[in-house]
Amino acid sequence: MSGIMGYFYNLVVFPGGLFALAVGMFFAGIDRKIYARMQRRVGPPIYQPIIDLIKLMHKETLIPRTSNQKAFRLAPLAGFAGMLVLVTCIPVPGVFQGIGQLDNLLLILYILAIPAIALMVGASSSGSPFGAVGVSREMVMTIAYEVPLIIVILTIGIKAGNASGVLADFSLKSIISLQKETGSILSDITMVPAFIAFLCCIPGTLGAVPFDIPEAETEIAEGPILEYSGISLGLFKLTGWLKMFAVSALATVLFYPVPYGSHWLLSVFLFILKCLFTILISVTLVRATMARMRIDQAYKFYLRIPTGLALLSLVLTIFHVHV
Amino acid sequence: MRNVMKNIVQKSPWIYRINAGSCNGCDVEMATAALIPRYDVERLGCKYCGSPKHADIVLISGPVTEVVKDKVLRVFNEIPYPKVVVAVGICPISGGVFRDSYAARNTLDSLIQVDVNVPGCPPRPQAIIDGIAKALEIWKTML
Repeated sequence: MSGIMGYFYNLVVFPGGLFALAVGMFFAGIDRKIYARMQRRVGPPIYQPIIDLIKLMHKETLIPRTSNQKAFRLAPLAGFAGMLVLVTCIPVPGVFQGIGQLDNLLLILYILAIPAIALMVGASSSGSPFGAVGVSREMVMTIAYEVPLIIVILTIGIKAGNASGVLADFSLKSIISLQKETGSILSDITMVPAFIAFLCCIPGTLGAVPFDIPEAETEIAEGPILEYSGISLGLFKLTGWLKMFAVSALATVLFYPVPYGSHWLLSVFLFILKCLFTILISVTLVRATMARMRIDQAYKFYLRIPTGLALLSLVLTIFHVHV
Repeated sequence: MRNVMKNIVQKSPWIYRINAGSCNGCDVEMATAALIPRYDVERLGCKYCGSPKHADIVLISGPVTEVVKDKVLRVFNEIPYPKVVVAVGICPISGGVFRDSYAARNTLDSLIQVDVNVPGCPPRPQAIIDGIAKALEIWKTML
């Protein structure tokens, strides 16, 4: 399969579209189940996200009279489309190499911001004061977690660039092939701080509990998604599940893509297992044991601990490469 | 096919609470007692949501005082169909200890259609969960 049909297949079936959605929903279900078990509850069944989605499709969709109708309707679609493109770009080691022109970490970083921007647009067009508060918090959070994320990606770029003889190489293909030769990046002790920094950014991007300040349902009544109901809310939920898969897959590709299986089925299985591990340690365990931070605490946290750890890795890597 | 859909959909009720001038007794029972590990309602797929626009089942407590009456109606109208109303505690039914007060002149069912009444002052958590289960039956007929 090649050309337009190949891209279409990648977008709709594997690794984007259906595959990513199924895995993302599975992760969300497992996350809720383990969260409940950690609180000694029974918890919802693992397929609960699918039920929620079907339920939302059956609900009435309300559009506030004070809102900007077009922006309000299109914002969830824009966020979902952006996320769909992102999961299409992410390679599955041993199975899918990634799409040639989209094979770039910096590009992925840009696309990762689209759902957050769509959420901001949708919320600010809804005309709700809670939405406005949510938007300002979402903006602060985005600025805070992007800083360590960029430094981590720069560090990995310099590491990959050293192997291929350039200053920095942001191609996912060369990052995976580097790790195939020299072992996973995580096995290098200087990259452990960068990995911890990346893990700290995951709950921020997903809006999970210590950093769910923009959507704090007890303070500002779900904030940006307050005015959304029915299928538009369902689209935001879908975007969230895709994002869950996307960031965990990114962590897997960047830090431990090897070992992968010889058969494609085994490779996919190992890949999902690694992603699930990432979600469990960075989202579920943290979510079940911590309370929500204030926005200023979260901002300070991101600019101190993860940024510091990422900078440590960056300095060590530059030292290792150029001195 | 339609029946299968109905059975699937009723496994995801999202609950929204409206405090219509309640003394907080019923709210404590709803918020903590019905959600502590012992009476986990999340196993039924329930989730307390912060926005009225995400809600399927509305729990209303309190005697609907004159001050909050319009606000309760306004929030209630923002909930998308299909929705089920559960009145928690004796107050929405008759006014309870606030009966004949100058500040609480309406019962809830004179303002909106109530589907399930859970009497008690406050009702036991088991009774609230039973009320939610009955609301699910009614919700199923609305789909």
